[in-house]
Amino acid sequence: MLLSYKVNDSYAVISAAGRLNMVSAPKLREMVAEVVAAGSARIVINLAETAFMDSSGLGALIGCLKAARQAGGDLRIAAVQPQVQMVLGLTSMDKVLTSYPSAAVAFGDD
Amino acid sequence: MTDVLARRTLRQAALPEVIDAVHAELDGLWDDASFVPDMDRMTFATAVIEAASNVVQHAVPESTKPVELGVDISVTPVRLEARVSAFGAMCPDPIDTDAAMPDGEAESGRGLALIRALVTTVTFKRQDGTNTWILSRSPLQR
Repeated sequence: MLLSYKVNDSYAVISAAGRLNMVSAPKLREMVAEVVAAGSARIVINLAETAFMDSSGLGALIGCLKAARQAGGDLRIAAVQPQVQMVLGLTSMDKVLTSYPSAAVAFGDD
Repeated sequence: MTDVLARRTLRQAALPEVIDAVHAELDGLWDDASFVPDMDRMTFATAVIEAASNVVQHAVPESTKPVELGVDISVTPVRLEARVSAFGAMCPDPIDTDAAMPDGEAESGRGLALIRALVTTVTFKRQDGTNTWILSRSPLQR
């Protein structure tokens, strides 16, 4: 999985390309911790190129959501692909992790 | 005996890198059985990766020899089947196969519940020092 981030004026976008699984999940947690430590607690995870996620990847997203909220921010997900949507639905985590059509609109309402 | 139309097997050290190899075998299986609908591919592949990841993360060697992961995946006209094995692993603690999905705050513990939601049958077998999860999905979506 290829992870990268970009900090905008009011939020940061982390792009995750590839498979979010037991190998890459710790790397996503590290990147979110780094972004939060640098002062950006409003984070969008762009999942447009995340073709696959397992329960380890889902656990990382939940951990990252908690980290962002503990720092006074929030974490939202964008451009969710079918397999990831399926995992979110079957685990009912689609009610916890708010999904937006694109990273650009994820923090568009506030 | 039901006709097996495509089959792939793998046996490697149960290290994190093996998960990419399992993905590659699944992709190869779909290449050989192109009639399998997308929804079946997606659900079955997710269940197989969950089971394989479980072996890599949790299997405990029963001797000084490291645990090996075995994956045997096959397609018949009406069924997908996977045998995911931990060779040389200790027998795990009793498994609650009816475990419910944990609450929204939990960061782990969803693997088995997710597997059960993805496939039709899940069985566990312990034989000759090998733990095997047998997952099946049928009938295929039309």
